[in-house]
Amino acid sequence: MIVLALDTAGVDCSAALYDGAKNRILAERTERLGKGHAERLTDMVQEVLSEAGLALDAVERIGVTVGPGSFTGIRTGVAAARGFALALGVPAVGITTLEVLAADWASRHPGKPVVAAIDAKRGEVYAQAFAGDGSPVDAPVALDVEAFRQLAARHGGAVAGSAASLLAAAGPEAEPDRFPPSVLARLAHAAPVAHKPKPLYLRAPDAKPQAGFALSRT
Amino acid sequence: MRSNLVILGIETSCDETAASVVARDAEGRGTILSNVVLSQLEEHSAYGGVVPEIAARAHVEALDTLIEQALVEADCRLKDVDAIAATSGPGLIGGLIVGLMTGKALALASGKPLYAINHLEGHALTARLTDGLGFPYLMLLVSGGHTQLVLVRGVGDYERWGTTIDDALGEAFDKTAKLLGLPYPGGPAVEKAAAKGNPGRFNLPRPLVGETRLDFSFSGLKTAVRQAATAIAPLGEQDVADICASFQHAVSRTLNDRIGRGLQRFRALFPEVSDPALVVAGGVAANKALRGTLDVLCTRHGFRFVAPPHVLCTDNAAMIAWAGLERLAVGMEPDALDVQPRSRWPLDSKAETLVGHGRRGAKA
Repeated sequence: MIVLALDTAGVDCSAALYDGAKNRILAERTERLGKGHAERLTDMVQEVLSEAGLALDAVERIGVTVGPGSFTGIRTGVAAARGFALALGVPAVGITTLEVLAADWASRHPGKPVVAAIDAKRGEVYAQAFAGDGSPVDAPVALDVEAFRQLAARHGGAVAGSAASLLAAAGPEAEPDRFPPSVLARLAHAAPVAHKPKPLYLRAPDAKPQAGFALSRT
Repeated sequence: MRSNLVILGIETSCDETAASVVARDAEGRGTILSNVVLSQLEEHSAYGGVVPEIAARAHVEALDTLIEQALVEADCRLKDVDAIAATSGPGLIGGLIVGLMTGKALALASGKPLYAINHLEGHALTARLTDGLGFPYLMLLVSGGHTQLVLVRGVGDYERWGTTIDDALGEAFDKTAKLLGLPYPGGPAVEKAAAKGNPGRFNLPRPLVGETRLDFSFSGLKTAVRQAATAIAPLGEQDVADICASFQHAVSRTLNDRIGRGLQRFRALFPEVSDPALVVAGGVAANKALRGTLDVLCTRHGFRFVAPPHVLCTDNAAMIAWAGLERLAVGMEPDALDVQPRSRWPLDSKAETLVGHGRRGAKA
């Protein structure tokens, strides 16, 4: 199965083509953009296709990071993935950024439990604990730093992702999180096809219902 | 070029998620094959206005299903269309990204060209789809986001004659409604209340009446409404009705003056046009009192008053598909797939910035 993986959830804009039958990455591009993912992504898809010598209709599955991460970034990737899926008549699979971080970490530390955690700023952390076999222990959540510290301690202390630096007393500021498209593609290949990819925000829109604006009525 | 062209249109610039398939024959006649609109009114009503992040979240969850529905209703497959047209500005950036990215993915996967459409151009050309109007004509766009009088000379050839220097007219309706405790959206609520009110009870300002330039201003009127209402609070049913009626009357008189001058300028500029027309677009165009004012005004000046059906006046994807068809038909180049969404994108690139100054440039 040929998987097209797309990631625009963080600073990177990435695309990769993966051949599941051969367990091989056919082509891969990652650029650290910060912003402008919506302009770059489709050209990047064309570049990996041409490098792999494939046409888009060879793609049998789309994998995309659904967050948590930049709201706009997540929607850029999810909208593109759902558009490709619709046009090609193939399934699209959503993978969380926390799953990518955990799987990437596990490839270097096999068999160890880990908490994948992203510094969400404003005193919050997006986190999820994973067991030694890579399966999630619980659902992804947004936590304050203290609750995150406790979660990490309960699961052996290993942390994958930018929030690790929040546990250190002092030190260099963490690098932004990166979600390697090769890891994403393998996870998307293995994932069951359940429903369309849906953004995972873990944070409500910043809006309050308006009250007290109207004049009093008799 | 084939005699029949078909385009899939996508619109996500504000709080309507929309997809549509429109065809254009060799004579330039348009047929709407499907026109699907999902309004997010419910999601935003508690906030008394459109919340950009809530809008963007709703667009991304709904758009692909709507596109599928539009294709099915048109009995059309993606491979049967000649191009994809998606709104790429101006509007709320979160929604624009969703629509444009979806459009790009569809275009790349189907091998069809992509037209990145200016939302205002969609409104400007709608009357050619509904009424087969010839160029040139005048277009009044009155919505929650825009208040503009535009000379439409041809496809891609627009001159903005007037715009609001502060609030959009739809915004003034919404804020008046909010002040009076009427539900969102304010337009229909204010119109309903006004029907039972006395328009002469409050003497509200008619902004810019008498000025030769064709711009609009509604923030002073909004303040005057607040002051008049505060002075008599607590408000009874009849008070609310009278305020609404007085507000609507002031708006009518402003439009009457502003648009009247626009019609005269059009006459002077195009004496050879025998059947001049004024087209209205935007949600505020649904207001019957204002429509009546414009209708009378047009009759007085010998203009045809063209008001497309309500579903094509408010935000929709048929107008985006149609703008794409017009561009395709005159041989305009499609857009590259790295085209940017633009929250600000004036239809008339030469027009002076009056609102939304700053490093991102003119709003619209």
